[in-house]
Amino acid sequence: MAQLNEPPVAAYDIPASTQLLAIAWMRWRMFANGFRRQANSGKVAGLVLTIVLRILLWPILAMWVIGPAFGAGFMAWAAVSRHHPERLAPLLGGIAIGWQFVAVNGVSIAATMSTFDPASLLRYPLRFGRYLVLRLLLGLLTPSTMIGFGALFGTAVGIAIANLSLAPAAVVVLAVYALLNLFFSRMIAVWMERWLATRRAREIFGGLLALFFIGLQVFNMRTHGHRHSDTSDWLVNFAQASNHVLDFLPPGFASHSITVTAHPLSSLLQFAALLACTAVIFAAFAYRLHKQFLGEYLAEGAPRSTVAAKRPAPAIERHLDRAQHAESPHAGFALPPTIAACLRKEWVYLRGNTNQLIAMITPLAFVFIFSRGILAHHPQYLLPGAVGYAVLGLMATLYNVFGADGAGVQLYLLAPVRLRDVVLAKNIASMSLLLVEATLAWTVAAVLATAPIPLVAQLSAASWILFILFTNLTVGTLRSIQAPSKISIAQTRRMRPAPASKTSGLIVLAIVFGSVLLQVPVTFLCRYFNNPWLAVWIFAPLAAAAIAAYAVLLQQAEQLILTYRDRIAQELCGD
Amino acid sequence: MPAAIETTSLTRRFGDFTAVDQVNLTVEAGQFFGFLGPNGAGKSTTIKMLTGLLAPTSGTIRVLGADLTQNSAELKRQIGVVPEGMALFGRLTASEYLRFVGRMYGLDKATTEQRTAELLDFMNLAGEDKKLVTDFSHGMQKKLALAAAVIHGPRVLFLDEPFEGVDAIAAGTLKSMLQRMIARGVTIFLTSHVLEIVERLCTHIGIIHRGQLVAQGSIDQLRAGVARHGDGTAPLTLEQIFLEIVGGGDQALTPPEQELSWLS
Repeated sequence: MAQLNEPPVAAYDIPASTQLLAIAWMRWRMFANGFRRQANSGKVAGLVLTIVLRILLWPILAMWVIGPAFGAGFMAWAAVSRHHPERLAPLLGGIAIGWQFVAVNGVSIAATMSTFDPASLLRYPLRFGRYLVLRLLLGLLTPSTMIGFGALFGTAVGIAIANLSLAPAAVVVLAVYALLNLFFSRMIAVWMERWLATRRAREIFGGLLALFFIGLQVFNMRTHGHRHSDTSDWLVNFAQASNHVLDFLPPGFASHSITVTAHPLSSLLQFAALLACTAVIFAAFAYRLHKQFLGEYLAEGAPRSTVAAKRPAPAIERHLDRAQHAESPHAGFALPPTIAACLRKEWVYLRGNTNQLIAMITPLAFVFIFSRGILAHHPQYLLPGAVGYAVLGLMATLYNVFGADGAGVQLYLLAPVRLRDVVLAKNIASMSLLLVEATLAWTVAAVLATAPIPLVAQLSAASWILFILFTNLTVGTLRSIQAPSKISIAQTRRMRPAPASKTSGLIVLAIVFGSVLLQVPVTFLCRYFNNPWLAVWIFAPLAAAAIAAYAVLLQQAEQLILTYRDRIAQELCGD
Repeated sequence: MPAAIETTSLTRRFGDFTAVDQVNLTVEAGQFFGFLGPNGAGKSTTIKMLTGLLAPTSGTIRVLGADLTQNSAELKRQIGVVPEGMALFGRLTASEYLRFVGRMYGLDKATTEQRTAELLDFMNLAGEDKKLVTDFSHGMQKKLALAAAVIHGPRVLFLDEPFEGVDAIAAGTLKSMLQRMIARGVTIFLTSHVLEIVERLCTHIGIIHRGQLVAQGSIDQLRAGVARHGDGTAPLTLEQIFLEIVGGGDQALTPPEQELSWLS
């Protein structure tokens, strides 16, 4: 042990390479151990599936990088070779928007596969400079960065092919512009983490994002509703108008730095403005990160451990009082006490979950938009389309019914209740949401259809929806028991999929989409045989079979939960 | 010799809630210091601030005579921490984790390897090399967190509930390890709800209640302070001292028994 008469401040520093290599090695081991854990736990099939999926995934991801790179390269080449340098600024602006859009939305495969939080390194003796570098390096392989760098590389190549004399300037300027975008995305991330620290703020942001997507969809429908040339004209006008604005923004500075070669001083000034913007954005990023480095606490309220316990006795008394009332045969609910208590708890959870309400409203808004389009003239297609689309977004609620309970799931295992009743209550709660959603979508479709929806179409849609719901309810309940995944309500932004959900996730998606998309071939068959009743004859037995399967599963639920209780406890009760 | 830990008017607020309020704490070098308080009193928040994981709203922290905010990286090399929740990397094995921690604290490879092997052996974790940390039991994780906290030979050790979930045999081993560290001049700052352990191990005690430091000193000093109010017939245990200081007249800590009369 060190002696106390040593100076408190170390005379030498830990080499940066030691710490950076240690972190790189640790990340590698975590990655490798992820495979090893599956192999050790006997999930060889899962391991093989994971490797195969990743092998298949990489070419798709590569296309996401290569596609924009080629597109940007071609546009840059066209702009320079056809003497339209003013088109470079909108191109660079578009790349920046795309970069930030992908980054903000977190469409990041790397992030979803990672369980590593860089803030966990703060307790080690790191200097701020190293932490800053680490935060920049750790996200370099995210799709947003790769797509952005790829597109700017393509732009540089396109400019160089069109005019070789611009190549040196293009490389330097676009490298700085890439750094600016990298810093900007990181700055947005750390500031958003600050602003969205409270759940309410996150929910409001989610709502705004949903409205943005709806707006985008409306815009998309409006532009597609016109002739193609109208759309092109609009885009050209928009690009020209945006040029005036972009002149005073980094895309304009970067573009002019490259193309205004006739006036070196002007070009240098533009480049200086670009550097200044980069420095300001970097400073804003570093400032916020420094706050985090010093130990800023972001979440709402005080940490759990610091909130003093309130006087417990009267609360217990009141709680027991209510529980006794719930068991009373004269209580308002006619349901068995366990089911009634579970339903009440699910309702309390739902009431406080604005995200869930947004998830319900958003598809309905889309249904409203779709119903006013060409589908309104074909009510036999509009109805299944609207209802199927509306319930699709909520299907996930069937697949992880214990997730939000976390460690509280132990209560179900400890309490003298029938686990079948608990499952049934949770299923009733989830199904109620889906049925409400389906009914609302049905109403919207019925109101906005230009003609009454034929009875046969309504019967077909009803049996189809029953089939979808009970198929997914059965599979979802089975999966909820066999592969639960903890859902952090307080920190949904850091929610990670459970290890088990990665390998079998595609199978679940296949069931969800497969059951919904079954409508397509059945519709085709109806048209082919010119018999709309065929859909009813197909879906009604399927629905009956799905309901029967669910009933069988429900009977087995008790035994299933007891069989999988170790896994349930391991996944939901851990940190 | 400077105090190992010294805070001046240390305060931390979360919105309207003051978790730690104007705490002036002094822990001399080489002390085994027990930091006590009821649930939610501000113990973990204080430890987080003392280890640089949480910024104080106001006040200063000096560790080994140096300001923590100004010398964060240097002082983190001198301290070891078992934080609340342990904060382990679950997808590493125990030896991988200790190697990583050793390198992060600047130990060379040979020393890291040697200490990793010794610590795993000492903590009875040597046979678990193929198991990932996430698959460890709570007690095993606690032992690993302790091993990681001492691998670099810290001069000040912060332990937040170190014996929680650890079996009696391991707890005995850990206690003797901590006492040997004290004998070598290390300062240990410990929180625990098990007052018997604190009474047996610690020489000095600080008691925090509703964010305020309500008592500080050696156990004898605290006993003497409380005995004035007692009958003085027998030496008070730490539990009696604690309840006298914190629990006296506090309804939150002494719920009226008659309200739960249905229990019997």
